[in-house]
Parts: sequence; structure tokens; C-alpha cells
Amino acid sequence: MLRIYGRLRFYLLALGPGLVTAFADNDAGGITTYSLAGAQFGFGLMWVLLVTAIALTVTQETGARLALATGQGLAGLIRERFGVRWTAFAVLTMLVANLGTTVAEFAGMAAAFSLFGVPPGLSSILTASLVVLLLARGSFTRIQYGFVAIGAAVSIAYAFSAYLAHPDWGHAARALVVPEITASSAYFLMLVGVVGTTITPWGQALIQSYIADKGLGPRDLAPVRVDVALGSGVLTNLIATFIIVACAATLFPTGRSINDAADAATALGPLVGPSARSVFAVGLFAAALLGLATVPLSSAYFACEAFGFERGLSFRWREAPVFYGLLSFFIAGAALFIVIPGLPLIQVMFLAQVVNGLLLPIILIFVMRLCREPNLGALRSGPILYPLGWAITALASAMSLTFVASLFLFR
Amino acid sequence: MPYLSEIQHRRVIEPNGNEIGTLKDLAVVPQGQFPAVQWAILATGDGERVVKWSDIAQEIGHLRLRGRIDTVPDAMLPPDALRLSRDLMDKQIVDTHGAKIVRVNDLQLSDVEGQLRLVGADVGLRGLLRRIGAEGLAERLFGRRLPRGIIPWHLVEPLDSNTPEQGVRVTVPRTKLALLHPADIADIVEEMAADERRHVFEQLDIETAAEALSEVEPELQASIVTDLPEERAADILDEMAPDEAADLLQDLPEERREELVELMQKEEAQDVEELLTFPEDTAGGIMTTDFVALPAELTAQQAIDRLRELRPDPELTYYLYVIDGQGRLDGVISLRDLVVAKPEQKVADVMDPHVLKIDATASKEDVAALIAKYDLLALPVVDARHKLIGTVTVDDVVEIMLPRGWKKRSSRTLAR
Repeated sequence: MLRIYGRLRFYLLALGPGLVTAFADNDAGGITTYSLAGAQFGFGLMWVLLVTAIALTVTQETGARLALATGQGLAGLIRERFGVRWTAFAVLTMLVANLGTTVAEFAGMAAAFSLFGVPPGLSSILTASLVVLLLARGSFTRIQYGFVAIGAAVSIAYAFSAYLAHPDWGHAARALVVPEITASSAYFLMLVGVVGTTITPWGQALIQSYIADKGLGPRDLAPVRVDVALGSGVLTNLIATFIIVACAATLFPTGRSINDAADAATALGPLVGPSARSVFAVGLFAAALLGLATVPLSSAYFACEAFGFERGLSFRWREAPVFYGLLSFFIAGAALFIVIPGLPLIQVMFLAQVVNGLLLPIILIFVMRLCREPNLGALRSGPILYPLGWAITALASAMSLTFVASLFLFR
Repeated sequence: MPYLSEIQHRRVIEPNGNEIGTLKDLAVVPQGQFPAVQWAILATGDGERVVKWSDIAQEIGHLRLRGRIDTVPDAMLPPDALRLSRDLMDKQIVDTHGAKIVRVNDLQLSDVEGQLRLVGADVGLRGLLRRIGAEGLAERLFGRRLPRGIIPWHLVEPLDSNTPEQGVRVTVPRTKLALLHPADIADIVEEMAADERRHVFEQLDIETAAEALSEVEPELQASIVTDLPEERAADILDEMAPDEAADLLQDLPEERREELVELMQKEEAQDVEELLTFPEDTAGGIMTTDFVALPAELTAQQAIDRLRELRPDPELTYYLYVIDGQGRLDGVISLRDLVVAKPEQKVADVMDPHVLKIDATASKEDVAALIAKYDLLALPVVDARHKLIGTVTVDDVVEIMLPRGWKKRSSRTLAR
């Protein structure tokens, strides 16, 4: 028993970041965006999932290697390599993207609460209090696997729901590999959203700080790679696939668009019937809270690591004022934003993902510039990872630039 | 007093005013309290040129070479030279005074008796603002209250792994780090990269290394020991208290554990292996096999002589245990009682026979409860035959009872 424990612990030490990131990736904004994609375009965006599965694995492994070799987070490495000014730019990019994501999580909580008739104002207060309470008591790590379990349960619910709705599986499988592109601005917007919710700036920061904090080193590469491949390569996108198929099979044929959480919940109808709303609400709640457990925290970490301020929840307020100040700003700022009357919650969640998608290339370029540094030793990106990484970065940049250009050209 | 960021990128001109490039970097040999700037690295049209700093004069707005560039001799940087911008700017250093790792925002230079010297690392907000060119603006907004965060250079320890050409540089002996309290070393080491950590534990003396390793968070202990060369790891484990060594070994994969126990000294290895047979959450699992046991038939004088011979660690002398011929626990005696007893008196007559003890299979919570209730400093642990096999000291119990993270927090507060 003792022997098994020793080895198991050794692997558990490394296994985890990918798993948690995978579920945190399917946060409130993720569930919403995939639902919208399935409802509006059926199987039309399935192919994107296959591409992002590869892309996410590549970018996450690159980040993981950086952290394993240097023991530093992304922000620290950017600072050492590019100096103060570029670091300020990277931090600003990260904070803007993450503030968007935090707002999306609050919107997700509000949408979940709304299904039980709780008004946005009250839900915003409840959410902020809950997050502060969990952070202050340090209980997020203890309950995080609880949320992962709920996330898994909801994903399975989507899988069964998709099955019971009798979708055209042949069509779905074909759409996964053969792109069915609709030439419209709505389709392109959705593409940016799907990419932006899957490969995120904060995800790149999170994988590195998680590994650096756990004190993992070069010899942990094998278990970390397995973890990244399972989490980013398989799990994240498998869940996304189920959500899209379920929505494509239930909502798409009716031609109704998703305007609120209740509409999105109907995708679970085939499995749970009238309780679809409750199941969806619980899933959205868990997803949003898991996001809130990670995003504000990793944002404050990122900024403080970059500029060398004290950071971490083991400090007191007066020992790490910048860290707690940023954390509070994120939570309070997002909470206040959500109480704006008549805010379209679904659209807010979706647009936050678009913002993430647009800013993603900036962070990816930093990652790619770092991953060939000679001080990484054997963990430098190799002849496969490196060109793949740049190809992904180029695609993401092309996507962002096209989007920005189209804003100016077609208005 | 200039800062590196203020003179870096200044124009460098020849005596006749002809511009030849800009100042790219300065280099020092990191010896002494405040090392002198000895070389300047210039960025010229045909790449880097290293010249002696003494060949350069500082003038307002620019630097002037003392001769034409083609007459100034080329200098060579010795392998242990530190390039201030490349090796230190934006990098992490150890602030040995505050016992933590900080990031260098700027470097403070000062003219000391005609010699430009590196005097401090700016780790404060001012340094950051200066780098983005906003120090003046911020000063106007917040006045002089804007805090300076400068660590004098003699309290700074640079980290080696920051240099890109690994293995090329001769390492600076980590004297400053070694002088810190092991608990502070542990705190610093926890923030380092795996490579850097290994490096520190290879260079510290064995005793300090063992004490520091005991203070490191359990999850990190295992990975440090795994990274170290086996011989070194075994030496450190020998030096650690057997209970802490056993706890650490428990977290390692089986093969690695066996290899290390093999390499340890016979006696220590035996203790550790014995401890490994007890489950982690029992009295046996948390006890240490270090204790002082005196045979009951000794006289007080003989007992004191025995102690002089054993030279036990201070924390083992609170209670001296008395055992019979079979090693069974008979009683306890304090150092004070032993000293005040008549030299010829038998230990058995002075000891207190009513000694509190606990079975090795009891839960660690029971141990904690007993120690807390009777205000003990240590509690003897016996096996099924009442043989004394170890003790649990109050410091082991404190760690069981405190919430996670408390230890870290307190040490940071005290470090201030």
C-alpha cells in the first residue's frame, strides 16, 4: 500500500493542471459559445474543434515546457527577455482579456441564477461574496475537484442528450474533418468566439504558474505531457463537441436563436425533459465558479510576477497590497458591470470570448519568442513543436487582423 | 547617483566628437562589497566591442572615449564577470536581508573615490517607473513620498541559472545564502527553479542543507531529493532527524527510496527503515528514533558522564528516559534532577516511575491530545512489549495541529 502511494503521489503531483484547465476552459463563456455555435450553425463549426484541439495541445505544451525548464511563470519570462516596456504591454493585454473573462463568469452566474428567478443585482452580490469567501478561506483548491465532477456530469448529460436527440452522426463526423464554411460575418464572428474560448491568454498563464508553483522540474516532462495531451487535446474539445452536437440536434432545426439561458437549456431537454433548466443552471453555476476560482487569481499573479510584487493568498493584505488590490478590482469591477440593467447576459459572455480570441495572438507571439531560448536546454521547442506553434500563431494573428480590418472596412 | 538605466544607451563618442555607437552594458567581477565597474560593452556599427571602463570618461549627455576607437585596446571579459544589463536587469535575485527572491528593476551605481561601483539593486516602484520613463511624472503626482526600494549590493545574491550560457560561468560561492537561518533558506529555495534549488543544495554545507531541507514544504522536499546526485542526497538524509528523513523518503518512488537507503550510513538507515514500517498518521509514523535512554542501574555520575559522551541535541535533553535490561521504559528523569542528585545515587531511585507513554499504533491526534493536555515537551513511544522505540516531540505535534500555510505566514512576518 505504502509503495503504491509513493508512486501514485509522484504522478498526482504532475497530473492536474491540464485536467483543471480543461474544465475551467469550458467555463460559462465556453458552454455559452459552444451552444450558440451549435444552435446557429449546426455542425458548421465542428471542424474548428479539431483544429483547436491540436492548437491547444501545442500551445499548452510549449507553455508547460517553459515553466518546467525555468520554474517561472510566463510574466517573469517575458520580463527577463523583453524588459519593462514590453512586459507592461503583455500585462495590459492579459488584464483586458481576463477582465472580459471575469465579467463573462459573473454573467454566467447571473444567467444560472436567473433560471431560479434570482435577479441579476442579487446574483452579482451573491457571486462576489461567494468568491471572496472561498478565496479568503483558501477552500478553492479543496472544492475544485467537486466543480470538476459537476463539470464532468454536465458534459455527460450533454453527451446523452446529443445521443437521444438522434443527430445525423455521419454528418457530424464528416463536419469534424471537412470544414462547412458559411461565408458570412456572423459565421466569422462565431469562429473568433470559439477559438477565443478554447485557446485563451489566461490558459497560457495558468499552465505555467501552476507548474512553477508546484515546483515541477525538467524530469516531470513525461507526466505533464500526458496531462496536457489528455486535458487540452482530448477532454476540452470532447466536451465542446458534445455541447455543439446536442445544440445542433435540438436547437438548430427549430431555427430559434439563443437569447437567454432558458433557450440554451433546452439542448438538455432530450435527456432530462422538464428539469433541463435546473440541470443547465447547475452546470453553468459550476463552470462559472471554476472560472472565477482561476481567472482573477491568475491575472493578479501575472501582473505581480511581471513587476516583482508580493503575490499569493498566503500573504496578508498589507504584505501584498498590489496583489489583493488587483484581485478586488477584478471581482468588484465585474460584479458592478453585471448589475447594469437589461444587460444581455448571453451576448456579454460571447463577446468576452471574442475579445479573448482577438488578444490571443499577442500572448502567443511572446510564448513563441521565448520557447527557443538556449537556456531551456532540452526543453526548447523542437523541430515539430516550434513550426507548429508559429503556424498556429500565424493563423490566430490572421484571424484577429481580418476581424479588425473588417470592422473598419464594412462599417 | 546614476542608475544603469540612465547611462545605458548613451552615445559614445571619440575625442574628436565622432559618434561610434552606444553603451550597451557594463561588467563587474562580483567580488567584494561593492564591485567596481571595470568594462564597458559598446554597441558599434560592427557589433559589440568590450573596452576598459577606465578608457571612458563620463560627460554630460554622452560618454567620451579617451582615444580613437582603433587605438583603444580590446578588452576580454573574464569568465566570472557579470554583465549588469544582460545578467541582472529584470532578473531575480536573493535579498538576503529580507530573505526572499525579488526582481531587479534597475541597478544603482555610485562614484566611490573616483571609481564607479555597483552599490545596490533597485527593486522598488521607482525603478519600474524610471524604466518606462515615468519617474518624473510620478514624482510630480505623489511627491517625494514615492518609496525607494534599494537593496545594498552586499546583501544581494544573484542567481546563477539566469545566465544564458549555463555551465560556462564559475559559480560564486553562496556564502551570503549559507549565513541565513535554515528556515529562511527554505523559504527562498521554495521560490527557485528546480535547477537553482539543486544548485543551492549541492553547495550548502551538509548540516545547513539538512536543516534547510527539513523546513521546505513536503511536496518540494521529494523533488529536491530526486534532483540531487544520490551520494549528496544520502549524506543530507543522514544528517536529518530520522523521522523527517523517513517522512521525506515516504514520498519518493520505491526504487529511488531503496537506492538512497542503501547509500545512507548503516545506523541512520536502520532507524529510517524502522520508521518507514509505521503508517504515516500513527505515533510510530511521526516519532523520531533520536532520544536519550539511560540504563536504570547507572549512578547519577555515570549517567552524566554518559551524556557528556553522547552530546545529544538540545531538544533531546528535556526528558531523559530510563530503561531496563530489555529496553523497556521504566521511568523518566529531568536533567535538573540528575544534576542535583548525589553522584552515587542510582538513576532508578531518582527517576519518576509514572511516565506517560503511548503505543506506536496510536493515532497522531491522540499523541497531540496527550501532549497538549499534560503540557509535555515530548512523549515516549513504546511497542507492544513496552520497549521504548522513539519519542514524539512537541514541534512535530505543532505541525499536525497548525492549519496549512501558517508556518509560511509566520516566518514572513517575523522576517520583517
